[in-house]
Amino acid sequence: MNNSRSLTLALYLGGVLACGPALAEGDPQAGQTKALPCMGCHGIPGYSNVYPTYHVPKLAGQYREYIVAALLAYKSGQRDHKTMIAQASTLSDADMQDIAAYFAAMSHEGK
Amino acid sequence: MNEQHIGWTLAAAALTLAMAAPAQAAGDPARGKAKSEACVACHGVDGNGASAAFPRLAGQHASYLAHSLLAYTTGERTNVIMQGFAATLSKQDRADLAAWYASQKGLGTAREQR
Repeated sequence: MNNSRSLTLALYLGGVLACGPALAEGDPQAGQTKALPCMGCHGIPGYSNVYPTYHVPKLAGQYREYIVAALLAYKSGQRDHKTMIAQASTLSDADMQDIAAYFAAMSHEGK
Repeated sequence: MNEQHIGWTLAAAALTLAMAAPAQAAGDPARGKAKSEACVACHGVDGNGASAAFPRLAGQHASYLAHSLLAYTTGERTNVIMQGFAATLSKQDRADLAAWYASQKGLGTAREQR
């Protein structure tokens, strides 16, 4: 292989490897589609549960790791909320990572 | 209106006003900030976090925060760390802390990103 081909191959492999870790932490773009069912409650400003009456929590800018932990807790039943358990039960680990990355990456006002 | 009607009318008015009273004790952000010293280590000075393992609280809905603290107290929500902290809180404490974090800039309502 001559030098320019080697360089091209090195750059290509480098690019593939560089993408790897980012995807393992969740892909916000894939998350946008997967999070559409979430927006029905979490995407409406000031939305509340019917009973007990409290606001559906804001998610834009929430930490990715925390969202994943919460979804896992709902899926396992460790955390109790009928709608969230139903939602989380449909999600694979990869789905949770992507959805969490999507919300974490959203513009928000905090630091 | 005769005397009997006036009595019933006043009773009905009083009952209506009583039912209109807020269900939660009103929270004061300044009091909440003073009570939040124990929270800083995990949740940061203003609730914007010290570690991604612990949720960002800044800007969250006060009613959700107060409900979460109550859930830790009743055991509806389990977490060894939070249950310990929540057990020390009164209803007023929960309302104040919730009001403090709600008043800070942080979380937003999710919006479709284009």
